[in-house]
Amino acid sequence: MSAELRIEGLDKAFIPGARPAVKDVSFTVGAGEIVVLLGPSGCGKTTTLRCVAGLEHPTAGVIRIGETIVSAPKQGILVPPRSRNIGMVFQSYAVWPHMTVRQNVAYPLKTRKLSGAEADRKVAGALELVGLEDYAHRSVTTLSGGQMQRVALARAVVYEPQLLLLDEPLSNLDAMLRLRLRDDLRKIVKAAGLTALYVTHDQTEAVVLGDRIGVMRDGNMLQMATPQEIYNRPADLFVAGFTGASNVLDGTLSSRDGAYGLVRTNSGDVLRTWIAPTLTVGAAVKLALRPENLRLDAPEGAENRFLATVRQRRYLGTETAYDLAVFGGDIEVREFGTEVRHAVGQAVAISIPQDACWAYAAAAS
Amino acid sequence: MPNNTTVMPGMEAAAPDNRLGGRARLVGRIWSLSLLALLSFLVIYPVGMLLLGAATSRNPVVDGVSWDDVSSSHFITVLTNPNVLLALSNSLIACSGGTALAVAIGLFFAWIVVRTNTPCKALIAGAGMLPLFVPPLVAGVAWSLLGSPKTGLLNTLFAAMGLSWRIDLYSMTGIISVFGMYYAPYVYMFTASALRNMDPSLEEAAEISGASALRTMFTVTFPLILPAIISSALLSFIVMLGIYGIPAVLGSSANISVLTTYIFALTVWTPPLYNTAAAVAVILMVVTGFLVWLQGKVISGRSFTTVAGKAFRPRALNLGPWRFLTLGLAILYLFVVVVLPTITLCIAAFRKFLFIRNLPALFDTKQYSLGHFEKLFANTATIDSIINTMEVGIITALVGGLLSFAIGYTITRSRAPGRKMIDLIVTIPVAIPGLVIGVAYLWAWIGTPFGLYGTLWILALAFVARFLPDTVKALSTSLLQIHKELEEAAWISGRGMLSTITSIVLPLARPGVVAAMTLLFVLAIRELGSSLFLYTSGTIVMAVQLLNFYEGGNTGLTAAFSLVQMVLLGVLISFTTWLSRGGSSASVGRSG
Ligand SMILES: Nc1ncnc2c1ncn2[C@@H]1O[C@H](COP(=O)(O)OP(=O)(O)O)[C@@H](O)[C@H]1O
Ligand SMILES: [Mg+2]
Repeated sequence: MSAELRIEGLDKAFIPGARPAVKDVSFTVGAGEIVVLLGPSGCGKTTTLRCVAGLEHPTAGVIRIGETIVSAPKQGILVPPRSRNIGMVFQSYAVWPHMTVRQNVAYPLKTRKLSGAEADRKVAGALELVGLEDYAHRSVTTLSGGQMQRVALARAVVYEPQLLLLDEPLSNLDAMLRLRLRDDLRKIVKAAGLTALYVTHDQTEAVVLGDRIGVMRDGNMLQMATPQEIYNRPADLFVAGFTGASNVLDGTLSSRDGAYGLVRTNSGDVLRTWIAPTLTVGAAVKLALRPENLRLDAPEGAENRFLATVRQRRYLGTETAYDLAVFGGDIEVREFGTEVRHAVGQAVAISIPQDACWAYAAAAS
Repeated sequence: MPNNTTVMPGMEAAAPDNRLGGRARLVGRIWSLSLLALLSFLVIYPVGMLLLGAATSRNPVVDGVSWDDVSSSHFITVLTNPNVLLALSNSLIACSGGTALAVAIGLFFAWIVVRTNTPCKALIAGAGMLPLFVPPLVAGVAWSLLGSPKTGLLNTLFAAMGLSWRIDLYSMTGIISVFGMYYAPYVYMFTASALRNMDPSLEEAAEISGASALRTMFTVTFPLILPAIISSALLSFIVMLGIYGIPAVLGSSANISVLTTYIFALTVWTPPLYNTAAAVAVILMVVTGFLVWLQGKVISGRSFTTVAGKAFRPRALNLGPWRFLTLGLAILYLFVVVVLPTITLCIAAFRKFLFIRNLPALFDTKQYSLGHFEKLFANTATIDSIINTMEVGIITALVGGLLSFAIGYTITRSRAPGRKMIDLIVTIPVAIPGLVIGVAYLWAWIGTPFGLYGTLWILALAFVARFLPDTVKALSTSLLQIHKELEEAAWISGRGMLSTITSIVLPLARPGVVAAMTLLFVLAIRELGSSLFLYTSGTIVMAVQLLNFYEGGNTGLTAAFSLVQMVLLGVLISFTTWLSRGGSSASVGRSG
């Protein structure tokens, strides 16, 4: 049933000679695992997904689904989409407007020459999985966006494909529905025990849905890891920034011991931080800090403790954002809770845990 | 804010002055009544007279028009006449065959252009539209020169090459082939845009589901564009049904009469059988009306092609080496439909005698001269017909353009009473083929002492009525693009209704109005169907004069005049297209 997906050295250039849309991307999705490809628009997520589906023809690289090589241009192998036994949910739903909900879901079974009681049972099962049992005989054009997306999902899972591909399936829905369906989606995919590759540009979606997240940029895979690792140990400045580390300080690496070291910022402050593996002492670095990871009202002796002044305050309801004057500039800090604790102009002690402060090479991006 | 400027409330109560509401309503009512009166004069009265004519047996010229003798029995007698039934069934056969061929060609081209990687697609798409601009009579003439059983150029060519093939276009097959070739672009236009607006993911989803390319085509692609296929097929059928030129030229020597040629034959009978002609015209109108209704239902029904304006990345099937086959087929079509007829007309127009003994004779330059053109322009009837045509064209453009603007504004912008009714009456001519308008106007004016019959005005007014739906629609579209707030801003700043129209709406809508007028001019000068019944010796127009040359058997003159008209139309249509940036091509076609 569910199979492992293995991609090795995937390249795709739409126009020969021009900048490729996907460059040397390799990763594996284990059987039953959900992997999310995350990245800004145009970074090559959809292209990667469509190469796996067989809707685009890769320029180079090998794609394996289970034991079968489905695409290997060098060896002249290219299995057509219909023979890959995969399911796909499109961004535009792509439910067929001239068919009913049932007909949409039953279509893949028909092409597999499956009919009668067995097919009915599978269609009913798929509709139940997505919660549309009562809509079987409705025309899909009378459904709401969220319901259409569920039909698309039922259609993609009804034949128990080896692999499920989803291309921004929630991006055309309104915000509330998106949140609900996001949680449902993970449950449904896990309940069906499917291997899934999911594409999105929304980080929170990626975190909630993915067992692992692959962050892409300009056709390259920058990091593939669990959500916790992506958020707590981003591989480079771009991943850090894209997942929300909005404070960046310039400095120099003055010493290192193992994974940690001391960084002197351009303002002359010294912080103990996590150091990217390739950095050597004396290198110009950029420090990335998440606004949520700074502690306010730090006690004497806390690690990386500094004094700052509140310059601006934005009350956001469930949290409050402060702009603090420190390190020769402004940095943003967020404090959770509905209470506002600091006034503008007030001095406040901050502390930064060494694991929440990351130094990267300054030249890199 | 002072609100004491002399507001000219014109036709509506929306002008920002409540004190004048009562007067505004009165003016609005008068305005609507005048428009309705004008439309009754242009559309309702002639159609009424046509129906009256079909229900009586009195000759309108000799006996005058009266209600005395009205009875459905006259109409039923005509309806059961075997000749009428034969013409009706011939019409249906020719149009069904022609439509089937047009759908096959049009659909194939739509697929080539939208869904494959055939080279030179843009060129194919552009040149593929050309047949729509060729007047049917000219197409008929060209194909009779090519495919007449004895002297046809193609047959001469086959003989010269030692081949035993012969073709005979003076037949039902001939009419069907020429219909199909020339009206395929309609099907192409509709289906290509349906394909283009279809989300490619719909097909991809089928492939992912396990369907083969062929299965995807039949279970997803075709069902989704079916409404477009059916409605374009109906449109081609409707247009073919109203065409006179092609069946007149190709059907006469084989004695195939269709409804249009039969109606005309009735009116040139001695004595003219005006009542029978009216009855047959009513039959033609009823059939057309039914098809127009059907087409409306198809269009308003479930339309599967998704939101316009959303750009999909085209899904081009890689045909590999087969793409040169599709390119070849496209070139073949363009050659047969555009190049071959044009070359034939040129040969016939520039050659002293059309008879070509063998292939070398075809290239013998001594055989070519400008003789036919000299003769053509030495003929005062030709010059008269050109002058008359231009006059009719100008009157039609001016009267029709202004009337359409007034109606378009009333329908889209004002709250004048009765505008729904006006809108409804304006769409009636869609269901009336040009030829039927001609018969209706004949009935409306031939028996009345009021001297419209025999003037150029009767032609121009018939054209205005015939093309009213197209021009009002075009102008309404361009009026709808002018934001209502632009007008309201002028009212707020103290302008009156009329002053707002002249200072804001008219300048903004001017490109649309000019384009509509030019379009009307083009449509008027190529119109044959309605002119046939309305011209007199003093008011002959180009299209009719061309038919006269053809029927007089003078091939050289016919070809020369055809070329002159094609060049004239080519120049005018390029100008129109340039003015309206492409929007007019579809309308030029509808007139057939
Ligand atoms: N069919 C195509 N032809 C040409 N360029 C394409 C095509 N599809 C995608 N691209 C280009 O490839 C790059 C990656 O696109 P895509 O994979 O769709 O990005 P995203 O990460 O937003 O899904 C973009 O620069 C896009 O313009
Ligand atoms: Mg995308």
